[in-house]
Amino acid sequence: MYRLGIDLGSSYTKGVLVDENNRMAAFHCVKSGYNFNNASSKIIAHFKENFEIAEPIYTCGYGREQIQVPFVSNSELIALSRAVYEIYKCSCSIIDIGGQDTKFIRVNALGQVEKFKMNRKCAAGTGSFLEEIAFRLDVTPNEFTEFAKEATHEVKINSFCTVFAISEIIGMIKNGATLPNIILGIYNSIILRSFELSLIEDHLVITGGLPAMHPTILNLFKQRYPDSDCPEHSQFLAAYGCVLLNSGK
Amino acid sequence: MSEKPIQEKSDLVKLRSVNDLRRTMDDYFARLKEAAETRCRKVAWCTSVGPAELLYSMGFEVYFPENHGAMLGAGKNADKYIPTAVAHGYSPDICSYLTSDIGAFLQNETPLQKSGFSAVPRPDILVYNTNQCREVEDWFRFYARHYNVPIVGIHTPLCISDLNSELIKSVSDQYHRIIPELEKVSGRKFDMDSFKETVGLSHDGCVLWKQVLQKAKNIPSPINFFDSAIHMGPIVVMRGTKHAVDYYKILLAEMDERIQNNISAVPVERFRIYWEGMPLWYKLSNLAKLFAKLNTCIVASTYCNSWVFDDLSADDPFESSALAYSKLFIVRSDTVKETVLEQLMQEFTVHGIIYHESKTCARNSNNRFGLQNRLFKRTGLPYLEINGDLNDPRCYSEEQSIIAIETFIDQLSGNLTSR
Repeated sequence: MYRLGIDLGSSYTKGVLVDENNRMAAFHCVKSGYNFNNASSKIIAHFKENFEIAEPIYTCGYGREQIQVPFVSNSELIALSRAVYEIYKCSCSIIDIGGQDTKFIRVNALGQVEKFKMNRKCAAGTGSFLEEIAFRLDVTPNEFTEFAKEATHEVKINSFCTVFAISEIIGMIKNGATLPNIILGIYNSIILRSFELSLIEDHLVITGGLPAMHPTILNLFKQRYPDSDCPEHSQFLAAYGCVLLNSGK
Repeated sequence: MSEKPIQEKSDLVKLRSVNDLRRTMDDYFARLKEAAETRCRKVAWCTSVGPAELLYSMGFEVYFPENHGAMLGAGKNADKYIPTAVAHGYSPDICSYLTSDIGAFLQNETPLQKSGFSAVPRPDILVYNTNQCREVEDWFRFYARHYNVPIVGIHTPLCISDLNSELIKSVSDQYHRIIPELEKVSGRKFDMDSFKETVGLSHDGCVLWKQVLQKAKNIPSPINFFDSAIHMGPIVVMRGTKHAVDYYKILLAEMDERIQNNISAVPVERFRIYWEGMPLWYKLSNLAKLFAKLNTCIVASTYCNSWVFDDLSADDPFESSALAYSKLFIVRSDTVKETVLEQLMQEFTVHGIIYHESKTCARNSNNRFGLQNRLFKRTGLPYLEINGDLNDPRCYSEEQSIIAIETFIDQLSGNLTSR
């Protein structure tokens, strides 16, 4: 019998199965779309094909209460912190970059959240920022990584606003800037926004869908924080933490 | 802290005094309406922490545009009016009380129409004090131009650390200087005895209001921030009148009764929070329910405590007015603010503080210059910052804020467990 944690995020719904030893056993991710019930149903149906799942389901994220089976909802920040602490067992700072949110969390030596901060009401610096720019430039988000490898130097993106960032980029292209250099600039603008949330004073752990899908972001973090780390399956950690928070209850 | 439920009912229990509050406010608006329609008394418009006592003592009916702004926000109509003010050249980044009020005026609409007003009461004079911000002067000048009526004001220095005698004298002198214009408009000579009596009533009303707020020191608290934000109406608009004094005696008695009967503002009070910043008027009810669901009571706030002018004294009405209105939290330096906040957080036994950074109200957003970090170092009490606005709902991301608030309460819960 496996326990299931589901993180119903703004862009993607992530499910993780946890075995009796509190280890992550299987993963599945679908687009959240407009109906969180559908998204969570797809996750549950996927796992039920091969596994026996215990109820309740443990949830977090924007759609945490939109699920048609018995559930226990949790704060995604507390859940993420719990999962990261399970892996590292020490105090650390977490930067999580998701579809609409960028979060900073400081976890103390006991695994408790000491401080946290989320981005303002603005998508710049989140996954949506990158997706929108990719759409406008007619480049798939996956191609971003390949382009970034060809960059010779970074072009600075100054606009705070996604829409005006695109206007700025169009102006840069007109003035001869290359797409690889612009893409490197976009990646840099994302991580700089995350540094505005708080000072990083200890071991940095990077999580979330964006860094998981864009290794360039991790490389840029490492340039500034060589000891920073991104655990495997980092976009599934909040879902994993939901189960851990409730284990033993 | 009490963790056991003290009420069986899971809903928030409404204060019984709300009926007296409604009557008190209805009577206030009826007096204003009569003055506006019959011209039996002159109407002065005043800023919310302006020299209301002076105006009442000289026979004016006093109207407060900020109260009107809050009504527009609480009625969830501000976003209908702000674009009109913006189209007339007022930035969406300035005070949304101002932009919603001017926008509503330009659209010939006001929630007062439900009370039989044809429009907001026409001013005979506009009187401001810049102690809270300079935008109130710009706001009032719009109406002074429109109605072609006099405007007078008191300019208080900002970021005051030392309330020294020169500063008090300078503000007190400005009180004296506006009197001739008030006499001209009111057709009435300034009367010292009347001013003393009004200042005395204002003092008494403020002391009663302070006593009401201080009842929240009780664990569990009989009142929360969302109640106080509504019940502060009389101290804002009727400061210096017997009406406010009478109302707060009723409310204070209910507080004592609640404490005696162990009735709390939220059904289960597990966490006690300090609220720094403006209310989000359009989300008052939603937030009240959210915090109640999280077993959390917002027990104290800078906002509601700002109308405690207990330094007012009938013995020395000018100097004491200058002192009271310059001692106001919003006009003080960060050093003073930190001390005041630390003291309030201790007195009310809070577990944490929430800073509401209001997009269009810089002066009421005290987390913009690092105060939150300094206060955390002093108190060790966790804090949360949420982004929103007093009146403009477009500046607020509700889902994101709910997640942040729930996480904050979980964070406090973890801290309690570990103690």
